[in-house]
Amino acid sequence: MSLTRRDFIKYSAVMAAFALLDPARATAAPDQGPQTWVKGVCRYCGTGCGVMVGVRDGKVVMVKGDPNNHNKGLLCLKGALLPAVVNAPDRLTRPLVRKNGQLTPVTWDEALTLTAARFKDVLEKHGPKAVAYYGSGQALTEESYLANKIFKAGLRSNNVDGNPRLCMASAVGGYTTTFGKDEPMGCYEDMDAATCFFVIGSNTSECHPVLFRRLAARKQADPNVKVIVVDPRLTNTARIADLHLPIIPGTDLALMNAMAHVIISEEMDDPRFHGKYAVFRQMVDGKPEERSFDDYRAFVAQYPPEKAAEITGVPAASIVAAAKLFASSSATMSLWCMGLNQRIQGVWANNLVHNLHLLTGKICKPGSTSFSLTGQPNACGGVRDTGSLAHLLPGGRVIANKAHRNEMEKIWGIPQDSIAPEPGLFTTAMFGALGDSVKAMLVLCTNPAQSLPNVRKYAANLRKDTKFLAVIEAFGDAETLKYADVVFPAAFWCERDGVYGCGERRYALIEKAVDPPGEARPSVDILVDLALRLGVDPKLVPFKNASDVWDEWREVSSHSAYNFKGMTRERLRKTSGLLWPCPTEDHPGTKIRYARGEDPNIPADHPDKFVFYGNPNGKAIMWLRPHKPAAEPPDAAYPFVLTTGRVIDQWHTGTMTGKVPEIHKAFPAAFVEVNQEDAKRLGIANGDTVRLETRRGSVDLPARVGEICRPGLVFTPFYDAKKLVNELTVDAIDDISKQPEFKICAAKVAKV
Amino acid sequence: MNKRTWLLVVLGLAVLVAAYFSYLTLGFTGTRCEGAKVRHGEVTDEQGDCYACHRKATPKVAQDWFESKHGMLLVKCYVCHGLPDGKGSVPFSANPSAEVACQRCHAPAMQRMAEKFGVRDHCDGCHGFHANSLHHEAFTKSVSKEKAE
Repeated sequence: MSLTRRDFIKYSAVMAAFALLDPARATAAPDQGPQTWVKGVCRYCGTGCGVMVGVRDGKVVMVKGDPNNHNKGLLCLKGALLPAVVNAPDRLTRPLVRKNGQLTPVTWDEALTLTAARFKDVLEKHGPKAVAYYGSGQALTEESYLANKIFKAGLRSNNVDGNPRLCMASAVGGYTTTFGKDEPMGCYEDMDAATCFFVIGSNTSECHPVLFRRLAARKQADPNVKVIVVDPRLTNTARIADLHLPIIPGTDLALMNAMAHVIISEEMDDPRFHGKYAVFRQMVDGKPEERSFDDYRAFVAQYPPEKAAEITGVPAASIVAAAKLFASSSATMSLWCMGLNQRIQGVWANNLVHNLHLLTGKICKPGSTSFSLTGQPNACGGVRDTGSLAHLLPGGRVIANKAHRNEMEKIWGIPQDSIAPEPGLFTTAMFGALGDSVKAMLVLCTNPAQSLPNVRKYAANLRKDTKFLAVIEAFGDAETLKYADVVFPAAFWCERDGVYGCGERRYALIEKAVDPPGEARPSVDILVDLALRLGVDPKLVPFKNASDVWDEWREVSSHSAYNFKGMTRERLRKTSGLLWPCPTEDHPGTKIRYARGEDPNIPADHPDKFVFYGNPNGKAIMWLRPHKPAAEPPDAAYPFVLTTGRVIDQWHTGTMTGKVPEIHKAFPAAFVEVNQEDAKRLGIANGDTVRLETRRGSVDLPARVGEICRPGLVFTPFYDAKKLVNELTVDAIDDISKQPEFKICAAKVAKV
Repeated sequence: MNKRTWLLVVLGLAVLVAAYFSYLTLGFTGTRCEGAKVRHGEVTDEQGDCYACHRKATPKVAQDWFESKHGMLLVKCYVCHGLPDGKGSVPFSANPSAEVACQRCHAPAMQRMAEKFGVRDHCDGCHGFHANSLHHEAFTKSVSKEKAE
C-alpha cells in the first residue's frame, strides 16, 4: 500500500480524532474489569472508608468506594490506588531466618520451631518479663485480641504494647481521665449536624481526606457553618477555615484555657449542663483534689486573651473570636489528632478540649461532640478496645485494677490472680530494654525501626546479639526487617478476613477477596501455631480461624460497656459496619454514647439525660490543667521547632504507598518546609539542600520554601526510609499516656 | 490574502510556538522538575508531581484544578490521568474514561445519572473536570482566597 505524505497526515488526524472521541474504549478493555466485588475497609488511615475490592482471575484489579459505608462511595487518592499495594512484586512469600547475617528462606516448620525454642529458652531462664509483643493499629482486631491473650493469659507477660502508643495513647488518656471510658462519644454523622468545627492539631485534609471532604461539603451546604483551624502550619485544611490560628507549637493549653476564660466571662457557658453533669478536679502532688466551678473560673482567669496571645503568638482578638464561635454555635464538633496527642502534655491537651465541650454543654448531642481522629485503621477497634497495650485489659479494663484482672481471669478461664499485677513495659521502655531485660520480641504488622522517636537510640538495641526478634510482615523492604532474626510472611489486607474498627466505633468486616501470595499465611494462624509450640494451654487458643476469635471477643465484650455481642460475623457480612455498643442482634448500633435513649448502657427510665457511667458518680471530670512548655523548646543553639507528620500521598513509613508508582513518583523523597522569612534570612532558596540538625542527629533534605510553616517552624514528613527523620525526634514522653513528643523538638537549619 | 501576509502570519505563529517551547524548556527555576530544567513530558522521578510544572506550563488548567473540589480535596492529577511514562497502575490518558477514573469514587452518582440520562461514555460532557461547572465556589470560603483578595 502506497501512502503519500498528505494521505498519511490525513489518516493520522482521523485516527487522533477517533482516539479523542472514544478514549474510553481505547483504555478500559471490558475483559480487564473485575468479575466480582468483595466488601472491605480501606487499609490506610483511621477514617475507615468502606471499599469494594474488584477481583478478576484471583487478582485484585480495582478498588472503589463502598456506597453503603459512611464514606458514601468516596475514596482518597491512596485508597483508590490500593490494588498496586496488594500486587506489589516484593511481597514476602516464604519464612526467613537470619543465617550468617542474611535472611534466608526456610520452611514454616523451621521458622516456627526456632522462634518457639528461643522464646521458651528466654521464658525458662529469665521469666515472662523478658518476652514482649509489639503490635499495631494496622493488625486485624482478631489478631490483636489473640496476641494480647496469648501474652497476658498464656505467657503471663504484660509486655504487650504497640504503635498506638506512639499515636493514640494521649487520646485514650484524655477520654479515660475525663469520662472514665475510652473512645469518642460521637460519630462521623455529627459532621452533618455541626455548625462549628474546632480543628486543632489535625491536618484533616491530608491525613483524613474523606472526612475533610465531609466537613467541607457541610460548609458548602450551609455558609453559616464556621471552621476554626488551630495549626502552626497553613495546611490545606486551613484553606476552608474561617479562622486560622497559626499558634506557636506547644502552646495550645494556654489557648484553650483562654478560650474557657472568655466563654465564662462572656456568660456563654452552660451552667445547667456543667453544674449537673461535670465535676472539677486538679492534681496536687500527684493526687486528684476536688474543686468547684469558682475554682475553675479563677484558674482559667489566669489566662486572659492578652496573656494567652503572648504565649501562643495568636492575636488576642482571634482567641476571643474562636471562643465566641465555639460557644455561640448551635452545635460544635472538635476534631484533633497527632498535634495534640504526640506531646508530653498530650493527655492534658485532650482534657482541655473536653473541658470546652462540657463547659458549653456541646456534647453528646447531634453535631456537638469532642471527637479524636485516629491515625491507623484499627487502632481503636483492634488495640484500644481489645486492651492490647501494656496497662490495659480487654473492654476498657486496666491491669492495675485487681477486680478487672479477676474478671478477665474468670472470662478467660485461667486461675485467679494469674495475670501479672503490674503493667508491662510501654513502647519506648520496651525497646529501651530490648537486649537487656527484654530478650525476645514478636512484632506484628508494623515498622518500629522507622517509626520510633529518637530511633537511632533504639536501633542500637535492635542490633544487639542478646535479643531475639521475630517479625510478622507482608513487605520485604520494611526497615525493621534489617534487625529481624525470623520473618513470617503474612497475608495482607483482603487476603484474609477480619474486622477493622475505625475512629467512630464502627466495626466493619474485611472479607477475603484473594489468596495470599506464595506461602504467606494469615497472622491468626501464625499466632495460634506459635502459641501451641510455645506450650500455651490449647484451651486458651481453640481457634481455627479469625471468625472463631471474633466470636470469643464478642462474648468477652458483653461483660463490659463496650458490648457488641450483637455484631455477629453474619451481620457484619451483610452490613457496611456497625457502631458499638450493640448488645443484641436486633440493635442498630449506637451513634451517641452517654445519652439516655441512645446508649443501651443507660436504662430508659434513668432520671438523668446524660450519664458518664465510666466514672463512679456518673459525671464527667473537668480538669484544671495549666500550660506547660514542651520537653525541648527551641533555644539559641537550636532556634527552630521541628515538627513531623504526613503528606496526603504517602502513609506512615511508606512500605505500602511506596509500592504505588503514581504515589511514589509524586512524593519520592522527604523534604523540609521552611518559612520564607526564615529562608531569606538564612540564604536558603527553594530546592536548596539544607542540613536539618537536632541534638540527636542530622539529615540533609531539599528545602521547600513558602508560607506554610509559621516563622521559626520547620516541618518534614517521616515516610521516607532513606531519610530517617525519626533519628532527629525526641523521645520525651507524656507522664500519663507514655506517648512521645514527636511534634516538637529543637532544631537548626543550614544550607549545605 | 497575499503571499506577504501569509508569510507574516506563519512567521508570527512560528515565533509564538518557539517562544512557548523556549519558555517550557528554559523558563523554569526553583525546585522539583523545574529545578532540573526538564523538557515537558520528560520522564523524571517526580513525574507524579504534575502540579509543580503544570502551574507554569498550563496555568489555567492547573489553577482550575487547584480551585476545584478535586483540588481542595487533593485528588491529584495522577489519580485519573495516570503517569506520563504509562508505567503506573492507572492508564495514562489526557482524557480518562469514566470506568477508569470516575467509578472508583462516584459509582453511586454514575448509576443515578445512567438511570436518568442513559449510559454515556464520559462524565465531563456535563461535569467539565477542568471548568467552573464542577468547580463553582468550591467549599465557599478559603484562607488562600482571602489572602488573594
